[in-house]
Amino acid sequence: MHAGTAEPIPGFAWLIGVLAWFVPGLGHLMQKRWWRGLLMGGAVWLSFFIGLAMGGHMFDLNAPEGSSQYLQVPPMIANLGTGALYIISWLLGYGFADDPAQAARATYEYGNTFLLIAGLMNYLTMLDAFDIAVGRKP
Amino acid sequence: MRHFLVMTLFAALASVVFGAMAKDTTQERVVYGFKVFAEFMVIGLVLAWVLYFIP
Repeated sequence: MHAGTAEPIPGFAWLIGVLAWFVPGLGHLMQKRWWRGLLMGGAVWLSFFIGLAMGGHMFDLNAPEGSSQYLQVPPMIANLGTGALYIISWLLGYGFADDPAQAARATYEYGNTFLLIAGLMNYLTMLDAFDIAVGRKP
Repeated sequence: MRHFLVMTLFAALASVVFGAMAKDTTQERVVYGFKVFAEFMVIGLVLAWVLYFIP
């Protein structure tokens, strides 16, 4: 391995990466990877809305009583992976409620899992779009 | 039944993403996607039975 032989990453690739994170699937669509964008982005969107419909909740830095704020950070990072979906929900205050009535729903934990996975899958989608933009992938 | 359907849905969505981003050709991706789906389902069912016997 020789130091200094790596090719510089074009600015366009970074832009693609940021947009792919912000709007799931957009990074692929911008590069005309229609099917891959629809499949991967669609899976993220579906997972997010199914999670919300199941009564799941997302995490932010407001820890419930008796819990540490630091414990909120890892799941918040996962949730944050959905980009604009998370930010818009946070601004609207929708999907962050964690009251006992909601937690009593049979699908509550499933909903949480779907919301976490939506974010993590979008991180993978974002990296895939970035790799395509750099030329590491066809 | 609901639990199984949710697990199936979860496996389907995750395997679509894993399948789409892996491998080089479309055929390889489809095969890999189904393989990941099958692995999710089998491991999920095995874990469910193991946990069933643990009080």
